[in-house]
Amino acid sequence: MGAERVAVVGIGQTKHDTIFDGSIAGLVRTAAERALADARMTWADIDAVVIGKAPDFFEGVMMPELYLADALGAVGKPMFRVHTAGSVGGSTAIVAQDLIAAGIHKKVLTVAFEKQSESEAMWALSLPIPFQPPMHAGAGGYFAPHIRAYMHRSKAPDHVGILVAVKDRLNACKNPYAHLHEHDITFDSVKDSMMLWDPIRFSETCPSSDGACAMVLTDEAGGDAAAADGRPPAWVHGTAFRSEPTMFAGRDQVNPQGGQDCAADVYRQAGISDPRREIDVVEMYVPFSWFEPMWLENLGFCAEGEGWQLVEAGVTQMDGDLPVNCSGGVLSSNPIGASGMLRFAEAAMQVRGQAGEHQIDGARTALGHAYGGGSQFFAMWIVGAAKP
Amino acid sequence: MAEPELLVAPNVIEYPFSRTTGPMIGAFMTALREGFIVGCTAADGRVIVPPVEYDPDTAEALTEVVEVGDAGVVASWSWVREPLDGHPLDRPFAFALITLDGADVPMLHAVDTGGDVAAMATGMRVRARWADEREGSILDIACFEPEGAR
Repeated sequence: MGAERVAVVGIGQTKHDTIFDGSIAGLVRTAAERALADARMTWADIDAVVIGKAPDFFEGVMMPELYLADALGAVGKPMFRVHTAGSVGGSTAIVAQDLIAAGIHKKVLTVAFEKQSESEAMWALSLPIPFQPPMHAGAGGYFAPHIRAYMHRSKAPDHVGILVAVKDRLNACKNPYAHLHEHDITFDSVKDSMMLWDPIRFSETCPSSDGACAMVLTDEAGGDAAAADGRPPAWVHGTAFRSEPTMFAGRDQVNPQGGQDCAADVYRQAGISDPRREIDVVEMYVPFSWFEPMWLENLGFCAEGEGWQLVEAGVTQMDGDLPVNCSGGVLSSNPIGASGMLRFAEAAMQVRGQAGEHQIDGARTALGHAYGGGSQFFAMWIVGAAKP
Repeated sequence: MAEPELLVAPNVIEYPFSRTTGPMIGAFMTALREGFIVGCTAADGRVIVPPVEYDPDTAEALTEVVEVGDAGVVASWSWVREPLDGHPLDRPFAFALITLDGADVPMLHAVDTGGDVAAMATGMRVRARWADEREGSILDIACFEPEGAR
C-alpha cells in the first residue's frame, strides 16, 4: 500500500466457456470493454494498461501483450506484462494498484486472460525432466500427493472434497459468467465421477476455460467521483505477494510458508486481527476441491488441521458465516491466467454489491486470493466498501 | 587422457496448438483460400493488409473488409542467398514488403526472380503466384514474382 488510496470502479469479464469464438485479442477486448463501460470510461481515459496471463507456452504465443496493445487501447501508453504462473491474475491487479498507490498513474486498466481452447496446459505442465522418470501429468498429478498428505495429516474424511465440489458448482449456477452450470450435480454424481488423480475425481477438478477478466482502478478522487455518481467503488485495504522456490529441504507443500506470510501481511495492512470474524466473504483459488480446507488453514481462518471441519459444518456455504467462492470459483471456471483476477474482481463485486444472485447481503470486507506454480506464488488483496 | 563420457538425455517437447482467428484474420484466410486478398479500412481511411481487428491509432473495432489487388509494388526487400528448411522457396529469393494495389501499408511475402538478385529492385511491380491447392493459409500465395514474368 502506498500513500494514495486505490478504488476499483469498473469490472468486466467474459462468459467463461469451452471456446470463446474469437481471437485472443477479441477475448481480452470483450472483458476490457465491459470494465470500461462499468467505470463509465473510454479508452482515452486510461493512463496505463497492466496485463497478465499464465506461461506463454500454454497457447504458444510468445509475449502476446505485444500484439494486444491495439486491442487494449494501449498504443502510446505504458503497458506492462506480469508473469507469476496461476497466481498471475492476482499479481497483475496488484501491480496495477501499485502504480496508482505510488502516485504514478490515476486510472489503470488491468486485464488477465487464458484461452485454453488454443492451449495445451495439461501437457505444457507435464514437461519431462532429463534423467528423471515422468512422474505426473498435468497440475492434478502434481497436487494430488499434496492432498493425500493433507488428508493423512488432518485425518479428514474422504467426502470433504466432494462437499466443496457440490457447493462450488451449485454456487456457479447463480453466476451467469461461470463456465459450468451443472444444475443436476449431487453428492453421489461427484462421488461416482471418474477418479483422475487419486484422490481427485473428475468432478472435483477445474474445467479448461476460455475467459478474461478486467478491472479499472483509480486514485481516491476517481473512487469518490464514482461514489458520488451512485456507483460505489471497492476500496483496496491491503495487497500482498509472496513467493518461494518449488522445492527446498523442509518445504511444507501442504501449508506453504509463503501463503501464511502473505496472509499475515495483507491482514496487517487491512487492520484485521481475526480474519474469520472480520472478513465477510472469500474468493480463494481452489482448482481442486481439497484446496478449500487446505487454504482455510493456510490463510489463518482456523487452526491447522481444522479446515475440513469448517467445510463439513457448512461454514463456507453461501449461508454459512464465512462464504467461500460464491461465484463458483476456479472449480467452475478456469481461464488460468484470469482465474486469480476473477477472485480479486469477485471480492470487489461483493463489497460493491454487484454480485447479483451470488451476492452476500451486506458484505463489507472481502478477501481475494490466488496461488500459482507448485503452490509457490501467492497474491492476495482485501477490499472494502468503506475507505481504508 | 580419455575423453570424459558425457551424460546426454533426449528432451523432446511437442504438443499441438490451434487458433481461433477472429473476424478479420479469418476473413483474410478465407479469401486466400478463394484466391483473392482482403484488407480492412482503418479509422483514418487507410487500407491495411492483412486486416487488423482494432485500429492502431484509435483502438476502435474495425469491421470494414475490402478487397485489394494481388499485384503491387516492392517497398523494401532483403535477399536470401541460401534458403533454409521452412523458407517458401528452395532457391535464392527476396523477402519483400509489398504494397498491394489498393492498400496503403505493405505486407511481407517472398519474391521469386529465378534466383537472380539483379532482377530485384525497390519500386518494381510484382504479382502473386497462387498455390495449386489452397487451404486458407498465407502459403496459399506461393510467392510473388516480377509482373509479366510469365
